[in-house]
Amino acid sequence: MADALLSAEEVGVRFGDFQALSGMSIAVEPHTIHALIGPNGAGKTTFFNAITGVRRPDTGRITLEGRPITRAPAYRRVRYGMARSFQVTNIYPALTACENVRLAVQARHRREGWIFWRSPAARADILDETGALLSQLGILDRANTRAGELSHGAQRLLEIGMALGANPRIICLDEPLAGMGIDDVHRTKSLITDLRKRMAVLLIEHNMSVVLSISDQITVMSQGRKIAAGTPDVIRNDPSVRAAYLGSAA
Amino acid sequence: MNDQARFPDRTTALVLVLVVLMPLVMPATLATQILIFAIATLSVILLFGSVGLLSFGQGLYLGAGAYVAGLLLRDVHIGLLPAILAATLATTVLAALLGAIIVRRRDIYFVMLTLAFAQMAYFAALALKDFTGGENGLSGLPRNFGISGLPIASPLAFYGLTGVLFSLAFLLVQRLNASPVGSVLVAIRDNEARTAAIGYNVAIYKLAAFAIAGGIVGLAGALHAAFLGFVPPTDIELEMSQRLVVMGLIGGVGSPAGSLIGAAFYILVSEGLSQVWARWMALIALLIIAIVLYLPGGLWSIGARLSAAAKREKHHG
Repeated sequence: MADALLSAEEVGVRFGDFQALSGMSIAVEPHTIHALIGPNGAGKTTFFNAITGVRRPDTGRITLEGRPITRAPAYRRVRYGMARSFQVTNIYPALTACENVRLAVQARHRREGWIFWRSPAARADILDETGALLSQLGILDRANTRAGELSHGAQRLLEIGMALGANPRIICLDEPLAGMGIDDVHRTKSLITDLRKRMAVLLIEHNMSVVLSISDQITVMSQGRKIAAGTPDVIRNDPSVRAAYLGSAA
Repeated sequence: MNDQARFPDRTTALVLVLVVLMPLVMPATLATQILIFAIATLSVILLFGSVGLLSFGQGLYLGAGAYVAGLLLRDVHIGLLPAILAATLATTVLAALLGAIIVRRRDIYFVMLTLAFAQMAYFAALALKDFTGGENGLSGLPRNFGISGLPIASPLAFYGLTGVLFSLAFLLVQRLNASPVGSVLVAIRDNEARTAAIGYNVAIYKLAAFAIAGGIVGLAGALHAAFLGFVPPTDIELEMSQRLVVMGLIGGVGSPAGSLIGAAFYILVSEGLSQVWARWMALIALLIIAIVLYLPGGLWSIGARLSAAAKREKHHG
């Protein structure tokens, strides 16, 4: 997999005596949607945290575009082109939707974050980009609403928008559809599909019909290990996957 | 962008007017004392209000600024302004060095580290008698100053200098809050983990805020030394750190203007009550309880509430 955008090899994470993750490997190709599925407690979010720098892995190696990032802190991985969203909505509830996204866009303009002698409003380009992102998410009309007062669906979209602010080459989405109503699910599904044109998507999701319809590659995890990997067709017909997971959902 | 503080705003004008009016309604020395403590409290408000960092150790940098300025004035005979500047820079560097250790920890551990360093500094000051005068304090500072020919001899002239320096520190904090840096500091306060996840080096921002706050409170210390003509060891005592937090809470950490309100209230109440009742601090304690329970924005927020109510009234009427 020489042309993988993100590659993780033999990643292991241990919490005290509990081996949460062992020998996890994955290779995400550019401009693909790669889904990570598995029952609750399979270690998907732990793996996400290791990839995105929230929790350093105890073993293994992670590279982004060939650059080793195993020990890089989370903020630096964003600069290298990787962004993430969170399973539990993790926004700035007291700030407006606009400010939530603007902060993410501003982070990409590194020098801007150190300017103390003028208002952020002076950067029309950052504000324009923020507006464009809000409009892409379909929440531009709520730009000046406090994020904590948005509906759950809008908060989930904002969560993705904050990751998009980094303009990443790979975006890691942790259960973006969790708790969404049917309309928001459709909107988010087509949003994710559109993202593939601009970046790679690594996705944790429990909504099997969405995963099977939009993914290019699927990796199945159970009890901290990879038990299968392949295209949706391969996964759908894999007996071990059916036994471990799909049996109840598909 | 209604989250972002504006600069300059009505608060800027109001505070600058108060600085001009204060010596007209009270003795200049009392007004000077208020502004010196307002500068010091500004550092607590910058850390707690803007970044969410509660420092129980700002007295350390106040004391350090006072000793540095005191020694420079007494032994090196550099002018008042160079001594104040040098003390401000020295405490900025000191806060950056200690902050590099302190900002590694969060929440209660952060508070405990600020407290531990402050306590350590107090005993160090007592031990280093040759420099600090130990328990007797650092005495023998010159009493007559001048700045490029202008004599700073009268209490009012010294108030003028303090007023200018307070205004500069106040404007700096307001400007900072209403800038891109300020927006990142607010982001850290509201959700530190997410701020790292969207690409900010949170530790460096915290360290920068800690160093700037150290310089601001060090400036207050330097002025205090020149004002008293003496550096009492109480400047670096833990009680000083505590007093600055109390002034911040009373005034309100939501706005840099809270520093002036908190310091003025505390000092005027202590002036008024300490004559009548030696246990006046008990009233301050009661007030703190009341503010924490019923007025988390401090006294400053009363004004904000009243003006919001007045606006509502206008809309209805």
